[in-house]
This record gives sequence, C-alpha cells and structure tokens, in this order.
Amino acid sequence: MDNQDPKFQLSTKGSRARLLDFVAPIPLIGWLLGILAAVLVEYFLGDYISYYLGLPKIPVLFGFLTVLKKPLLIPGTMGYMILVYGLPILIIVKSLQKPANKLAAFLDKRRVTVAALVHLALFYGALHLWADISDYRLLVIKLAMIAIMLTLSINVINGYMGEFSCSHPGFMALGAYTASTITLFFFANDKLFGEALLPEALGFYFFPLALIAGGIVAAIGALVIAIPSFRTRGDYLAIISLAFLFIVKSLIENLEFVGGPRGMSSQPDYSNLPMVFTVMVLCIWIINNFVRSTMGKALNAIRDNELAAEAMTVNTRKTKIITFMFAAFWAGVAGGLFAHVLRYVNPGSFGIQRLAEILAMVYFGGLNSVTGSIVGALSINILSEALRPLEIYKWIIIPLLLIVVMLVRPTGLIAFTEFKPKELMKPKQNKVEV
Amino acid sequence: MKSLFKGIVWGLIAVLFFTTNGWGFGRKKVVRVGINAPITGDIPKVGEGTKYAARMWLEDIENAGGIEVGGKKYPVELVIEDNEAKAESAVKANTKMITEDEVLVIVGPQSSKQAVPAGDVANNYETPMITPWSTNPDSTKDRPFVFRGCFLDPFQGPVLANFITEEFGFTKTAVLYDVASDYPKGLAEFFKQSWEKIHGPGSVVAYESFTTKDTDFSSQLSKINKSGAQVLFTPQYYNEVALIVQQAHELGWTGPIVGSDSWGSAETVTLCGKDCYGLFFSSHYAAAGAQGATKEFIERYEKKYGYTPDDVAALTWDSLRLVQTAIENSGKLTGKIKKDRRAVRDALAKIKNFKGITGDMTFTEEGDPIKCAVIVRISDKGEYEFYKSVCPN
Repeated sequence: MDNQDPKFQLSTKGSRARLLDFVAPIPLIGWLLGILAAVLVEYFLGDYISYYLGLPKIPVLFGFLTVLKKPLLIPGTMGYMILVYGLPILIIVKSLQKPANKLAAFLDKRRVTVAALVHLALFYGALHLWADISDYRLLVIKLAMIAIMLTLSINVINGYMGEFSCSHPGFMALGAYTASTITLFFFANDKLFGEALLPEALGFYFFPLALIAGGIVAAIGALVIAIPSFRTRGDYLAIISLAFLFIVKSLIENLEFVGGPRGMSSQPDYSNLPMVFTVMVLCIWIINNFVRSTMGKALNAIRDNELAAEAMTVNTRKTKIITFMFAAFWAGVAGGLFAHVLRYVNPGSFGIQRLAEILAMVYFGGLNSVTGSIVGALSINILSEALRPLEIYKWIIIPLLLIVVMLVRPTGLIAFTEFKPKELMKPKQNKVEV
Repeated sequence: MKSLFKGIVWGLIAVLFFTTNGWGFGRKKVVRVGINAPITGDIPKVGEGTKYAARMWLEDIENAGGIEVGGKKYPVELVIEDNEAKAESAVKANTKMITEDEVLVIVGPQSSKQAVPAGDVANNYETPMITPWSTNPDSTKDRPFVFRGCFLDPFQGPVLANFITEEFGFTKTAVLYDVASDYPKGLAEFFKQSWEKIHGPGSVVAYESFTTKDTDFSSQLSKINKSGAQVLFTPQYYNEVALIVQQAHELGWTGPIVGSDSWGSAETVTLCGKDCYGLFFSSHYAAAGAQGATKEFIERYEKKYGYTPDDVAALTWDSLRLVQTAIENSGKLTGKIKKDRRAVRDALAKIKNFKGITGDMTFTEEGDPIKCAVIVRISDKGEYEFYKSVCPN
C-alpha cells in the first residue's frame, strides 16, 4: 500500500467519511480490547483523575447523574470521559488494529463457539471491572441485563410472530415466585417456610435449577394464552393476554403461603454478575438460534399471513404453542433472576406499569431484531436511570423520545435485522500485511 | 492525523483550565442526608410532603450554621431521590445514595412496598435508615440499621378495637378492606383478631373485601347493612374512603365508620365532604388544636406551602429531627463514612423519650418506636380534631 496517497485522500473527504474510514478496519475484538483498556484505566487511575478534575467521585453512569445535578461540573465530567474512555479506546483500537485483525482472522477459522467465547470472555472481563467500581453501577447493569432478556423474549411473540401479547409481566411473576419459593424453601431460614431444608452452601449451585423451574412454570402458564391464540389475533389476543396478567396478579395476591400482597422478601443473594451475565448470554444465544431456525422462519410466515403459512405446510398450532412457551420460559427465568437481585417480590411489581415498560423497550429497540431488543432494553433502562435527577421531567423526556422514534422509524430503532455473530466477529481488513 | 492529535491536546488543556475545581483541590467534609421519596408515581402527594418537610428541616440547619458534632459545625446536604413508588427504583435509589453520594443516613422510603426491600439494602451496607411511614413489621425486623418513625399495625389494630368498644359499647362490627394491598389487608387482620379477643369469635359479622381501584362497593355494603353490624371499620386510603363513606350513606348506613392512619391525608375531607364529618380514625397526630412545637410546625408549613401538613410530613419531620439528634450525639465525625454510620446507628438506638411533634418516642430493640396513637375526630368544619390519645402500656 502506498503510504502517502490515502492520507491525501483523507483530508479532502467529509468528516463523516473520515470517521468511517477510521472505524472501518477495526474488528469487534479490537473494540473490546479498547474498552478493556479504558476500563482498566478507570479501575486504576479513575479515582486520581476524578479527584484532579474536581469531581466528587468517579462518574458512574457516564457523568449524567453529576452533570444534571451540578451543571458546573460539565467540563470536568467531559474531561473525565475523554481521558478515561475516549483516549484509551482510540489509542488501543488504532495501535492494535493489525494484531486485532490477525487475531480475528485466526478466530474466524475456528468454530463460531470458540470465537464467541473468546469475545464474551473479554467483554465479561471489561464489564466485571467496570461494575466493580461501584455497587450502584452493578445493580443498574444487572437490572439492565434482565431487561434485555425480557425484551428479547417478548420480541419473539410480538415481533417475530406478530401477535400482540400483554402477558409478559405475568410470566415474569410466575418465574419470580417459583424461583423464590424454591430458594426460600430449601436454602434459607425465613418466616414463610421456616428452616432451610438443605445446607445453604449448596444454594448457589442449585439456583440455575430454581430458575429453570421458574421458567417451566411460566411456560405452562403460557399454554393458557397459546390455546386461545389459535382462534384469535390482534386486539382480541391482546385482551386475553391482559386478562391472563390480571389473573396471575390476583392469584398471587390471594395466595397466603407466598405472602399475599405483602410479597416475599429476603431471598438469598444468588443473582451475582457472573450468574446474570451467563444466563443473559445463554438467553440471547438460544433465542437468536431459535429465530434463525426453520421454526423462526415459520414465525415470520405466520405473522405475514397465517392462512398462506398453513397452506405452505407450516403447522401453525404447534408453532404458536412452542413460541408462547419458549418466550414465557425466558420471561420466567428473567423473573427468577429479578427476584434474587431485588431480594423482594410483591405482586404489585408485575402489573400494567411493568408491561408498559417492557412494551416500550421492545418497540423502541425494534421489532423482529435481536440487536434491536438489546439496544432498546439497554437504552431505555440506562436512560431512565441516568435521567433520575430530573425527577418529573424524566417522564416527559423519555415518552417524547419514544414518540420521536415512532415518527422517524415506525418499527423501532433497529428493526428487521438478523443478528449474525460470525459476521460481527470477522476481521475487517481482509489481507493483513505481514 | 496530526491535526486531530493537536486538537485533542488543546481540548484537554482547555478542559483542565475550565475545571475551576482543578485549582481548589480537596473535598469538603459535609454531612449528607438521603431522602428516598415517591416524588413521581402513584402517590406523589406523599413524596411532596416528604420533600417539603425535608426542605424546612434543612432551612433550620442552615440557619443554625450547620449541624454541631463534638464542638464542630458541619454543613449539611440533602440528597433527594425519587423512587417512583416502585420497589426496584427504591432499591436503586438507596444503593445510589449509599455508594455514590455516601450519605450518612437515609430517611425514607415511605410505603412498606418500598421500605421492605430498601431496608434490606441499607442494612447490608450498614447505613442507618429511618422509614417514617412504613407500618409493615418486616421493614425493621432483624435489621439493626433500620428504624421507623411510626407505630406498627399490630399496635394500631387493638387501639381501634379498644376505642370502639369503650367509646360506643358496640359488640358487632363489620370490616371492609382491599385484599390486594398489603397495608389495609394487614391492618384488617390485626383489627379482626383483637376484636374477636374482646367480644369472642363471630363478633366480626361481616368481613368484606375488594380489589385495588374498585370504585363500586354497593354489593359489599349491602351485605354489611344486612349483617347487623353496629360499626364499620375500613382501613383504606383517602380516595377509597370518600367513595366507601358516600356509598354507605346512600345505601342507608347510619352507624359510625372508623378508619386508620391512612385516612390522615388532607385529601380525605376534600373528596368526601360532609359525609365524613363526625367520623373517627386513628392517626399519628392531629393538626387542629395542636399545641407547642406541633403547632409551630403546622403554621410554618401552612405559611410556606399553603396547606396543612398531613401525617407523612409530620413523621418525616420527626424522623429528620431524630437523625439530627443522633448525629449530634454520635460524639465525633471521623470522616470515615463506615465508622460514622455505625456511630450514628448506635446513637439512634440509644435515643430515649425523644420529644417529637407526633409524640414522644423511644426505640425498641427492633428499631420500632414506642409511641402513642391519636384518635382523631373529623369536626363539623372538616378539620382533624384531637379526640383522645392512646398509649401502649
């Protein structure tokens, strides 16, 4: 390659094109390395840098919380963001561009699983260090990951299959209560179920089983929605699923042995970061494979024209039952994690408000898209946390944002795309010079 | 590439220049008090009362030049967080205040729904927390760092049962409550228990329930009418109280209707009107005819915000004053937040006969106060009149 020529070209291009040129040759693993470097800088130097810049502490959520309360700190916070995130990422990404591409090329020849695991390990490392800075960050990120699972699982029904289901908080409640009952019954001394039956040390290892049990109960509950969905669509199914939500809520309110309206508290602290992260990755992985499978294509066929799909040998009944149960399973698992993050559940948490949140996340992010669900859940979740200092104005800004997105992109930010991990992890410079 | 690099360097220099604090160095030692209140969500009026009471308290502290600990005055900062009346948000707010803002002590959240999970967070991080209004025993149970500013439902139930028995001499009662809300349900149960203890089983002749957001109670009220009950007990929130009382009167109910501290909002009479005049409820304090410090507080609040403070504001005020006393008694602020929090917690637990505007308080080992309940009568002008005080013995 000629060294002079590209530089000359760069200066004549617009800033957007220049940015694209700058970013284009960097593979995903390069970005992950850059993020890891930035997080390491924050981990070791964050305290000094924030001290020098006159900030009260390390800005937890990208400085939103401090800036909105004390606008005087804007320059300091911006300086921090540039010093800790901007510069290290840029430097590492650019300087490691060649080795990163080589590494990506090397991984590209291996199985996708291996490559994905390497990427995930790197990402988890960065996330762990990032969350280690503050417990508040940890809590926010855990709840955001649970929101991703919920959004993704409702996307399977509302996005891929095109039904309008409103029963997701109900599934979540079933999962949350089942998992809580199991862990409290077996592994904790509490006032509802008395002494622990099994040694508490075992609890953590049995927790995944409790989550799965929660998912299964939610899936069984989903049958109640799946069967009427053979005959109804659209508004009618929405009403039936809404009714299901109320049934679940009333049921729990009147079940005295799970605490009734007072709820259950003091679940053991099993939902730590590795647990939530692993379950979320499994959820994304499995749902992504599900929607890209033949079954996933059948879902789209049902959405577009159920009669035609039936005529083209799609077994619509079976597809619907499986989809509802599958999505409900993941909502139940997410509910189980949620109960063990908050260590408290009450029926009031699984009402219309939760439904509105989940629906906002899925329609904001984009229908029929795994990436969209992730983006939607993360942005709504982090945004509503970052805008916390605005109090009541937060509830004006977020809905306004939703309206704007619906006007500009009626199907959501990133809709109707396929999430292809293999493409994502590919090296970006095909021929790397040695 | 070069110009980009140059730009970054200049940008950094500019940033350093503008961060005025970069010259100042050092972080001042301040006492931060966290307020966890439902400013948005289902019960914004409660959040507003909390916020206003807290601001009034801060004003007092600022006028005094700070809070005095061990002969030194420290400035005080309030960190007010909105919990949106949601459990998960209250947990987030508490975690944020404890780990980010490094508050010394937290006042709030108000409702038990939020106070139970948020109390768990405060206790895990060893941060003292007072919930002014939560009546659920679980909020403070087995949590040495969590206190409360009000009496509990197991106390309020018997108080009301005894009051009705002594005042009217009735033997048959009816109860109407919301089965889906934890506070009314719990209180209804405690009331039923203590009533049956006095008058024997079967003396609660009607035990009727409804679900949150119901607005038509005619079927339950007809049953109660037919049951031969002499008095109706309904531990509901202000919006439901108005509906229940008005519908009961329309259906020909003539007996007294008795309520609990959830009636204590200023809105009850506004919504209910003349139907509520002459009725009784138990509460934390009575605004009309108050004396001394209580009167002073009410007048100041009225002057500042234009309406009579309800019990949430009064309890928040008391909780903040408790916090203040505890901080002052803690001896010395070391600046090491963990140690200071522990010292404040110990000082709180030791407080005896605290003179609050909602009555005298002494904490039990569980962190619950021993304090008197007030029976309030709604006067013919719609004011909350002091009728009687019932103390635990």
